[in-house]
Amino acid sequence: MTDRLESIASARPVAWFTRQWSQRPLFSTLCALVVMIVLQTIALGFDQGSFLGWLSLWTRNWLNILRNNATIGIIALGMTFVIITGGIDLAVGSTLVAVGAVVMIFIDGSTTGLLTSLGITGAPAYVIGILVGIVVGLALGQVTGLLITVGKLPPFIATLGMMNICRSVTQQCMQTVNPSVPRGFTQIANLSVGGQMFMPIIYWLVIAFIMHYISRHTAFGRHVYAIGSNEKAAKLSGINTQAVKRTVYTIMGALVAIASVLQVSRIGSMDYANAGSGYEMDAIAAVIVGGTSMAGGKGTIAGTVLGVLIIAVVNNLLNLLGVPPFLREAFKGVIVIVAVLLQKKEKV
Amino acid sequence: MNLEMRNISKSFSTNLVLDGVDFTLEGSEIKALLGENGAGKSTLMNILGGVIDANGGQIFLDGRSVSFSSPKDSLEAGIAFIHQELNLINDLAIYENLFIGREIRRRGRLLDHEAMIRATEEVFQRMDLDLDPRTMVRDLDASYKQIVEISRAMLMNARLVIMDEPTTSLTDPEIERVFAMMRTLSRQGVGIIFISHKLNEVMDICHSYTVLRDGRMVASGLVKDVTSSRLASFMVGHDVVEHTRTASEIGPLVLEGRGLGDGRHFSDISFCVHKGEVVGFTGLLGDGRSELFQAVFGAGRFTSGQLLLEGSEVHVKTTSQAVGLGIGYVPRNRKENGIVKDMTIFENGSLATMSSRRKGLFFMDEDRLEEEFQAQRRALRIKMDGEDDPITSLSGGNQQKVVLARWLSAQPRVLILDNPTQGVDVGAKEEIYEIILSLAQRGVAVVVLSSEAQEVMRVASRCYVMYHGRIMDCLSAGQMSEKEIMRLATGVEEQ
Repeated sequence: MTDRLESIASARPVAWFTRQWSQRPLFSTLCALVVMIVLQTIALGFDQGSFLGWLSLWTRNWLNILRNNATIGIIALGMTFVIITGGIDLAVGSTLVAVGAVVMIFIDGSTTGLLTSLGITGAPAYVIGILVGIVVGLALGQVTGLLITVGKLPPFIATLGMMNICRSVTQQCMQTVNPSVPRGFTQIANLSVGGQMFMPIIYWLVIAFIMHYISRHTAFGRHVYAIGSNEKAAKLSGINTQAVKRTVYTIMGALVAIASVLQVSRIGSMDYANAGSGYEMDAIAAVIVGGTSMAGGKGTIAGTVLGVLIIAVVNNLLNLLGVPPFLREAFKGVIVIVAVLLQKKEKV
Repeated sequence: MNLEMRNISKSFSTNLVLDGVDFTLEGSEIKALLGENGAGKSTLMNILGGVIDANGGQIFLDGRSVSFSSPKDSLEAGIAFIHQELNLINDLAIYENLFIGREIRRRGRLLDHEAMIRATEEVFQRMDLDLDPRTMVRDLDASYKQIVEISRAMLMNARLVIMDEPTTSLTDPEIERVFAMMRTLSRQGVGIIFISHKLNEVMDICHSYTVLRDGRMVASGLVKDVTSSRLASFMVGHDVVEHTRTASEIGPLVLEGRGLGDGRHFSDISFCVHKGEVVGFTGLLGDGRSELFQAVFGAGRFTSGQLLLEGSEVHVKTTSQAVGLGIGYVPRNRKENGIVKDMTIFENGSLATMSSRRKGLFFMDEDRLEEEFQAQRRALRIKMDGEDDPITSLSGGNQQKVVLARWLSAQPRVLILDNPTQGVDVGAKEEIYEIILSLAQRGVAVVVLSSEAQEVMRVASRCYVMYHGRIMDCLSAGQMSEKEIMRLATGVEEQ
């Protein structure tokens, strides 16, 4: 009798676990993250003098992870919407460089700077620079959206083209100009509070919260899902599918612009040839690991945040274990494949 | 080749689809196989083509008993089945299509294009056909595609060709071309089974006919001994259901079309729908009624004519614009066009109203949507556990009611319903009819598109019958009968 009771008692958490696992797509993602965090904590080691010493090391390590992934994190939020509609955006890395170049020209602190020569410096110049950057991001996103809706190009092709155009034009234009980032501008990302730089993390989480709200509680957000799941039915329900898709790519452009401002501010310069390259794949990988379906119609913003964290924690773990950098990309590949394999199993 | 199918029976689970059907074809005649949708024509031909097995009965070819367990068996016995959806690859040349899967190869496994082209030319010669085998299939019109399918059958030495509604998507001159080809084949000793809804075509091309109704063979004989209206009454049966609907209070004109056309599916369409009226549109496959009303709803374009809403001309370019004008549309093929499978019951029921029920500048008024959905759920008696369950957890009838709820919440002035009871069981069907009638009573102008004459007679006070993209006639409640609708829908002129 007691035996049976015990077995029931012990079966209950297992049953709860399997039910959560099969019913909530986010649960498995969350479990994966927890496992990774445990492994990462072990790898970090406990050989500090005191618990407080260890805690501060652990916290610093975490703030580092979050800070370093805020840029990709913001881009992945926009990518989530794009992929839920059944599309893809390969141009994010190049858009980042294009926007970054425009912003730097506007905020250039040297005497030849665009705004400096007009006598505008400091905060007003930064605000103008950031606004112009966001407008450029919106415009590039709108062009992509028009190519996909009016031009009826597959998103892969349209954004592949935009990717090449943006980077190459930026590189050509920036051959002779070399704007410098004023110290004040770097404070946007590097402002230190209590010895720690929180700003990028705050930007990321605030935007994530807004995007989550849009996806759940606005008609536009629900239309994004409807289009990804069944575009024809969405259209025949009176949804302007073209406008929704265009807006999705435009939001993507704006978020890339914000990520670009953050990147310029954090690093204080921009390498036009290499900055942002591979970001599209990192963002797509995070979205997929976060449980969004490549086929569209399914996915969550929260999942994407977890996806970014999983990839980031694994990277950090490999770093702590001293795995050579070249091999780390392979692990990223393994995570993506395993994540999608697990998602497939859920369906069957 | 003489074909005799004797006492063929077939049932799917408990549903008896064919009940002891006899079907014969002698030598090289062209035989019409007639019947309404669901009469069992396709099932019978699928049995002959080896696609499905019969539960009972025998098939004899030239007196020998045969049985086919796959399409390949049937083909080897000399029977070729040309399906309604043609099986051609547009980006290959004609001869490549003819030899696909059976390519002639040289030694060394490379393709022998010359041999394949020569063989194709020989077949074309036999068929009196002047066509270059190297032409890409993409560049052929619909009739030649049909003919290429036939020549593939000839290449495989078919002695009997089954053609399933080959003229559905063809224009008149194209139909003539296919008919000429059929006559040539018949002269050369090939038998043809011609499945069609169009009685005037049957009168024109066929030697004999067999009519199926509800899985039984009801008539068979020579075409020269029969009239097309007699064939129509064989198809619907003599027991025509009495129409009991009384004409309802009819208000002012709401929706009017004047000479509408899209240059492809329909032309010269004029119609009108009044407030509080249910107007039916019926016809057979390919009559263009769905395309017509998709264009009214902004999911297609008119190239000519005028569309008027309450007296003023409107140009509906997008579906969201149509919703703004107060037009609703319940599409056909619920699975493809109606439901969004990854969303919940509630979301599916609110899809048309989400963007107009707002709180503040951005957010949905979720409370109001919820209220409206609950009101519709009660009114339509939708059976479900929780509104946040996936839509796919509901039965077909309840899914259809959710799609209806989506539009009723939008309170349209005009509601278009395309095949509203498709895939819905009998009980739910009757409920949906009641909903449609009560909508009209509340002053909505309702348009019901349906291929079932009985359905149109059940709900509509007036009905337009379409044939080949044109309106044949508008029947009043008193004029509507299954026989009359079938006569017009099959394109038979008044005699």
